[in-house]
Amino acid sequence: VPKQSQAKVTALSRLNSKGKAGMQTPSPLSWCILGIICREGMPVYSVFDDEGKDVTPHPLFRSDPNTVLPRQGKLLASSAYFGATGSGFLSSFSMHQTSGVNGTLGSFSRTYGSSSTSLSNASTTESVLDEIVEPEQKRSRLLTSYNFSDVQVRQEEIKEWTNEDLDRRVDIYLTETETIWILDMPSVVVSVESEDAGRVLERNRIYVDICKNRPGNDRFVEKMMQTINGAAKNKEVQCDKIIMEDKGMLVTSWDLYDSFNVSEIEPTSKYYHVKTVFFPYYLLSGSTTSSLMISESAVLARIHEEEECHSEAILTSENFQQNLFFMERILMENIFQPKLAAYRQFPVLIGLFLIGCPAAVKEAKQEEHDKEKDKEEQKDAFVDPSILLERLWSYICDLTSGHNVSTMAWSKVNPDLLAVGYGAFDCKEQKKGLVCCWSLKNPMWPERIFQCEHGVTALDFSMASPNLLAVGMYDGSVTIYNVRSCNDAALLDSSESSNKHTGPVWQMRWVEQDRGATGDGKKERLICISADGRITEWFIQKRLDCIDLMKIKRTESEKKKLPGEKERKREALISQQAAGMCFDFHPKDTNFYLAGTEEGHIHKCSCSCNEQFLETYRGHKGPVYKVAWNPFSTDMFLSCSADWSIILWHQDSQTPILTFSSTTAFVHDVMWSPKSACIFAAVNESRAEIWDLSASILNPVTSCFANPRVKFTSVLFAKNTDCLLVGDSKGEVSVFELQNLAAPNNNKVRFTRTRWWSSEACMLVWYFIPPKGASVKDLANRY
Amino acid sequence: MTLIAEVEETLKRIQAHRGVVATMVVNAEGIPIRTTLDNSTTVQYAGLLHQLTMKARSTVRDIDPQNDLTFLRIRSKKHEIMVAPVLKTANPF
Repeated sequence: VPKQSQAKVTALSRLNSKGKAGMQTPSPLSWCILGIICREGMPVYSVFDDEGKDVTPHPLFRSDPNTVLPRQGKLLASSAYFGATGSGFLSSFSMHQTSGVNGTLGSFSRTYGSSSTSLSNASTTESVLDEIVEPEQKRSRLLTSYNFSDVQVRQEEIKEWTNEDLDRRVDIYLTETETIWILDMPSVVVSVESEDAGRVLERNRIYVDICKNRPGNDRFVEKMMQTINGAAKNKEVQCDKIIMEDKGMLVTSWDLYDSFNVSEIEPTSKYYHVKTVFFPYYLLSGSTTSSLMISESAVLARIHEEEECHSEAILTSENFQQNLFFMERILMENIFQPKLAAYRQFPVLIGLFLIGCPAAVKEAKQEEHDKEKDKEEQKDAFVDPSILLERLWSYICDLTSGHNVSTMAWSKVNPDLLAVGYGAFDCKEQKKGLVCCWSLKNPMWPERIFQCEHGVTALDFSMASPNLLAVGMYDGSVTIYNVRSCNDAALLDSSESSNKHTGPVWQMRWVEQDRGATGDGKKERLICISADGRITEWFIQKRLDCIDLMKIKRTESEKKKLPGEKERKREALISQQAAGMCFDFHPKDTNFYLAGTEEGHIHKCSCSCNEQFLETYRGHKGPVYKVAWNPFSTDMFLSCSADWSIILWHQDSQTPILTFSSTTAFVHDVMWSPKSACIFAAVNESRAEIWDLSASILNPVTSCFANPRVKFTSVLFAKNTDCLLVGDSKGEVSVFELQNLAAPNNNKVRFTRTRWWSSEACMLVWYFIPPKGASVKDLANRY
Repeated sequence: MTLIAEVEETLKRIQAHRGVVATMVVNAEGIPIRTTLDNSTTVQYAGLLHQLTMKARSTVRDIDPQNDLTFLRIRSKKHEIMVAPVLKTANPF
């Protein structure tokens, strides 16, 4: 048929009914197919009967050619509006009223395409629903084809809806139509008491009589009749296959929850959206697919375009990055669990957590076995339980290997976050520096990596704004980073400052000071000391700028004038200022601080006076690399220097109290233990040493040797646990656990004023309550 | 570094760890996008783990719909399998 439909066929055929019976038959139903008008490839028939009247069977349904084929979604949306009619819709169904539809049925019309269905009779409701739910596109095409330009259909212009129209007040009139009689079957039962009762009874009686008289009565004759049976015709009709689909659902409570809270769920991927919000349909299509909510139409329309970008989109999505982050952390936990547990001083679990790496299991088991052996041995032989250094792990990665660890600092709020600065000490080895923030949770890759132009020589975390990290570099510039962002860019830097340092910034600290006088409460200042001899305070305003707190003037050592010598002229000095190497603020009174210089002098200065030093401590013969006040006995401080020695001072005495030296190497760093008053750690190039003053003042209680090609350069105690971090010249920060550490001893270091032995030259220095500084110095010089 | 390069690098780092046998990235329908295993094993793992993850997530959310599965670890005699699923509810971090 479709082939034929292309051509206009005018074929006439006449079908006569076969034969006539004696009966009066109604006018023969003879149909002529007058013409086949083709439209859209589907043959459309008009049928005319003998008299030329058009008796084309009209469908009961007419679709509006102006409306677009609906999407599935709107089908049900339309059923939502079922029954609700506005005046606009009232007019729409009137326009679809065709003359073919007989008025006795009332205005029975459906607008399939528009978004409302209006019916005047509730009884046809079910049939409407049935037809709407069948999503047969082909069928709808079939139906629309009937709606050719039928003159009988009055088409109104569909006007555009404007906002005003939508907001307009619409009056809805509900009226009742006349009662429509579809079926009227009068009853055959009459009440005895009605008026007709007598007549009815009479008629009934007459009828009974007739029935009684009928048999054998001449008035009633039986006669047979034959009616003509019309020829039966079989007609087969084939309809389109009705596609049935079975769908099963497991309704879960989270599914229901999701359906109601769709708007709150973040779209996990930009490409899959929840299109339909409508409840029953959504449940059906929602959760049988996997984790994403796809609406069918979206899938059909979009799946081609976006297949290529899927994997990239997934890989760069935030969710995936989060998952990667977690995965890495958990892997680290698996690998490092025994070490981390030791760090935290938890009992180590063997056999439960190390399934992932059998090698590690063996290792751990071996260690455990060895430890047990050692313990047994220890029990046998009475060994003094001394402090042991046990290496746990190292913070090292590809990026940092090869760099020299110059400085380390803990974050003030998160005791597991460590910032390490990498930069060479010598000017010959200068290369680009690096700052890495390491977290305990991932010892194999730093959390933040900041590349710096020059070698990093000092850094410190702020207390007031814990996300700020101040970094000082070899060229004297100071930069402030915000560790919250992963961005490499500095928050602020000192390049625009006119007053910046001209030499490497060897130390910087954020110092909290009570501004009792001004009533401001604690205020934090950033203080730096640098090789150009200035101690500066930096202000963070729009730009980073600084003022000088102190200039370190060169002090000459007082030479004793030997009798007979003439006074020599003072030597011309290259610079009036001595390079500053380190400083430390007093733990109790933040007005005072110590500054160590390259000449070997340590000056005690005050913030309130920037002209003169309060005191000068002379003892070192080389640059002082570090000074540190004892956090418990706040009158004592330590200093370490390139002259191979560490000196313990008392702030009232200008000569050393004790000198510690154990090797012939520069002592790069020294730090008091935060828990114990007598313990400090020192690092010289080949060893990391722990000294316990209550145990021995001659030798360190324990030390750890560096690998031959590597030098140790910095040391840091962990605050929340008994561990020591040692940085070396190859970029590795090793974490050591201090075992058998005695209970924290907060007793102040009491040095009775008696004799002291100095380990180096076995010098006996008598320390009296000094009447005058000179006499003690004499003694010292003499010996 | 571009985002995708960073992500690739992190993936490489994870794979390079001692003790990690294989890494796999699977999309939401259970189709593997990235893998370090051979094809047949990948497909097998992806299918099985996907179903298990869905079931686990369904369990967690059935009890409390506002909850969601954040991580799944399966420890067996020989290995440990770790699955980080896509979050459906809002990310609390």
